Amino acid sequence: MSASHTQTVVAGSEASVLADTPATRNPAHLSWAPFLWFAPAILILFLVTLYPTVFVGWLSFQKTRYYDLTGFVGLTNYVEVFSSPAFWNTVYVSLVYVAGSLAGAVVLGMAAALVLNNAGPTGTVLRVLILFPWTLSMSVVGSIWLWLLNPSFGPIPYLMQLTGIDPGLMLGDPGLALPLIIVVTAWWSFPYVMVMATAAMQSIPKELYEAVEIDGGGPLVKFRYVTLTHILPTLGSTALTLSIMYLTLMTLIIVMTGGGPLGSTTTLSFEAFRGTVQAVNIGPTAVVSIVVLLINVGLGVVYTRLTGRVTG
Amino acid sequence: MSAAISSGPTTGRAPAILMSLFFAVIVLGPVAWALATSFKTEVEAVAVPPTLWPNKATLENYFKVFRDQSFARDFFNSVIYAVGAVVLALLVGIPAGYAAARFTFKGKRALMLVILATSMVPGVALLVPTYYLLDTVGLLNSGIVVTIILSARIIPQTVWFIANFVEAVPVEIEESAFMDGANRFEIIWNLILPLIRPGIAAVATIGIVTTWNDYITVAVFAPDVAKRTLQVALVNQVFDAVGISWSYMMAFVVIASMPVILMFGLVQKWFISGLTAGAVKG
Repeated sequence: MSASHTQTVVAGSEASVLADTPATRNPAHLSWAPFLWFAPAILILFLVTLYPTVFVGWLSFQKTRYYDLTGFVGLTNYVEVFSSPAFWNTVYVSLVYVAGSLAGAVVLGMAAALVLNNAGPTGTVLRVLILFPWTLSMSVVGSIWLWLLNPSFGPIPYLMQLTGIDPGLMLGDPGLALPLIIVVTAWWSFPYVMVMATAAMQSIPKELYEAVEIDGGGPLVKFRYVTLTHILPTLGSTALTLSIMYLTLMTLIIVMTGGGPLGSTTTLSFEAFRGTVQAVNIGPTAVVSIVVLLINVGLGVVYTRLTGRVTG
Repeated sequence: MSAAISSGPTTGRAPAILMSLFFAVIVLGPVAWALATSFKTEVEAVAVPPTLWPNKATLENYFKVFRDQSFARDFFNSVIYAVGAVVLALLVGIPAGYAAARFTFKGKRALMLVILATSMVPGVALLVPTYYLLDTVGLLNSGIVVTIILSARIIPQTVWFIANFVEAVPVEIEESAFMDGANRFEIIWNLILPLIRPGIAAVATIGIVTTWNDYITVAVFAPDVAKRTLQVALVNQVFDAVGISWSYMMAFVVIASMPVILMFGLVQKWFISGLTAGAVKG
């Protein structure tokens, strides 16, 4: 989901809630009363998340025609999906998309955090302004960039022409569509990296920098051995949060390219979406959904481990 | 980069300020261009060479959006889904979060881990099974169902955040209120909720932004035109490639983003604290 900005951030302080703190007032005893407090939340999560999660597994073993189930077929859907070159192409597109967007967002976000951290009050004001696009929806971000990149009337192709570059079809070019979507994704998400990196940087004790100065270390030494060392765990968990987000992001692709041209921007998640709305044969779509699910849960578990260590 | 790398106030700030402005331009330039387009006439929007700022600024595009027959309905749906989802998440999240922070019982750890696990299941993986199930029981195109699904996406984080907020409140305050004869519900309502209000505001802000911005859930599970939101209406304009008017669309973009822009402006502190909560230990 494009908008689930904070999907996995919740795991951050796992240790404190799970531990038996001295603050807990009731002695341990088996009683149904505490479960009542959880019942409404669990009921909703069961109906909306847990049951469909089990059900998609069951669907993946069914022979389907449109949305009709016509019998148990074992692993046929899996074989069909995993032996199709189109599927492996979506895996490749997803990998390029996630890795490219992540590289762009982390590099830009780190640079922005460092620069703004040293710009005094100006930096504080600009930091809020720069975070602003993060609140925009994927449909809005997609629409704005669709306009900026419009080959006939958009300002970016116009500027390219002025500098003597032929803009060509932009998003209509199979070789250019994915790189352009990566640029837009990095543009939208680097402010998030910036905010996270800034929070981590501001928690570094000033004495550490002074210690390096006393030892005669320059700015590069300070960056490498103090700044980077301290923010690395935060950067790691931020990168995981973003990977999960990128992997499940569909709306931007729906708006900007619709998975095309020639499937060049069809990621796994877009394929799961397309299969759902086109509804030609939902069995294989269930298999693709399960692949996305497993990768996500895997990344989520790593994230929980990582942040558990950070906060522990 | 040397000025940027050191963090002492001794180095000159000018290079850092210049580079900060560069980042601001990268980020805000595209947004400003969209804003400028929204004030242009349809003809000027597609003029070559493009004008940086409208020669003749007009509000006509905004009036056109407001005059559109379906606008009020789309806007109303957006508000109802977003507010409904957040209210529901708080209604079920506050009791669960409170219980997680204050009670010790067998199975609590398992319950909290199940809630955490549901936050790792991506919505995209559930599109096909959920569509199938809703179709089977005849619940597609239901506003209430969409609201509950949107709510379920923010319930895990709501429960976990509230548990942490409640835990930060000293239990002694509650004990003395118990002595004075207050019951559990009075304590939560009169004592705990006012104390954790900033936390609830942060959770609610992020919840509203998340649900307001959703496109997929509404587009897939409530494809009926009467049930769509502003986000769905916007994307449908993109699909209508023949009749596309860029100046109208950018006005629509501004209006569709206005509520989250206003919220961000008003409570950006809570928004940022919500984003960074749990990510860094100071």
